Amino acid sequence: MNATHLLSILALAAAAAVLPSSTSAQPAPTALTVTSPTVTAGQPIPTQHSADGENTSPAFAWTGAPATVKSFALICDDPDVPMPQPFVHWVIYNIPGAAKGLPANIPIDPAAAMPAEIAGAVQGPSGFRRPIYRGPAPPPGKVHNYHFTVYALDVANLPAGLNKAQLVEAMAGHVVGQGELVATYERKPPPPQR
Amino acid sequence: MADRAPSRRDLLKIAGSAAAAAASAGAASAESGASVVQQRARTRPRPAREPLKALTAHEADLLDRIAELLIPSDEHGPGATEAMAVRYLDRALAGALAAQREAYTVGLAALERYAKQTRGAAFLLLTESKQISLLIDVESGTATGANVGFAGSSAQFFALVRGHVWQGTFGDPIYGGNAQFVGWDLVGYPGVRTVVTPAEQRLLSPATVVRTSAYDNPMFNKAIADVKPAGSDRDAD
Repeated sequence: MNATHLLSILALAAAAAVLPSSTSAQPAPTALTVTSPTVTAGQPIPTQHSADGENTSPAFAWTGAPATVKSFALICDDPDVPMPQPFVHWVIYNIPGAAKGLPANIPIDPAAAMPAEIAGAVQGPSGFRRPIYRGPAPPPGKVHNYHFTVYALDVANLPAGLNKAQLVEAMAGHVVGQGELVATYERKPPPPQR
Repeated sequence: MADRAPSRRDLLKIAGSAAAAAASAGAASAESGASVVQQRARTRPRPAREPLKALTAHEADLLDRIAELLIPSDEHGPGATEAMAVRYLDRALAGALAAQREAYTVGLAALERYAKQTRGAAFLLLTESKQISLLIDVESGTATGANVGFAGSSAQFFALVRGHVWQGTFGDPIYGGNAQFVGWDLVGYPGVRTVVTPAEQRLLSPATVVRTSAYDNPMFNKAIADVKPAGSDRDAD
């Protein structure tokens, strides 16, 4: 073995050592901009989207998704609950990659068809154990933050029925874009009893 | 065990029926304050209501509708309405469950306040989809914080009603519910049998279906000779 061969072998070995990490390391997700016609970042969520109102889901729009996106997912959770994990209010995914957002008032009937612009989207069980949106209903006396996080994924279809933890696991390695909108909600304490 | 798929008979079926919504809208314009539920357009005739013993007409209307949403009449057969679950409940609240009458007064009033406060109309005037959405909030306890007057958690009230609707649909007909044994038919319960044949025990033949009240059996009547069944409209002879 001459010096040239030795160098070639060393170079190959070095390349092989680098390759696994270079292929498994996912590029940082592109930043998405998430907006809503009714929910404003840092502001109280309108009553209509809470248990003090009709509890309908808000509309959202997003921009900045990379060309590789094949579907979107959205998770809403509240980290300000007195629990180890944030309380999950909404899980919706398999939103088509062509979608620019979510319409308001997603059906609460699991058998009902999704709006045409997000046909194929599915909802997973939330902390309320139902696969539907249920908005803020925090214990009174403290401002809670609600994180609406949108994920752009390079996969089109994930299995139906995933809760947040399962969805996060299924999305691992497939997130090509991410953004969030954080809004607040607070319930006032009940009036004192006479 | 994998979760089973949702069905119409899941707790609080979620139908979102446009027809029901239209029916509700029609009811809204026709409401006179007497009995809204009975005025609603229905594809299936509702059994006639007997004179109430404990509930007010409006409370019975509310409970009728809640029971209908909990155990609907659908492709599987008649539900809580046809079983006359609320007749059971009314009789029970006038008898053995009298101690829980106040819980119904408070809970149903709070439910009505919650409907008006959050959905802008009385419960019976809401579309089916909104009624279901509201009951999900009551069931989950999130209606509690709206300060509408639920005693304790709204989830407690929901559980109370659900349990009694179950009893009224699937209990022995002598107590006023499970009319025509629709509850037993619904779940395939063969009925109260005093004899089970060897073949039935070995599941070699279908169970003999018995459609009589347990209290039609002398053995049971003997056991309750001095106790009239709660809510019963007849003596245990």
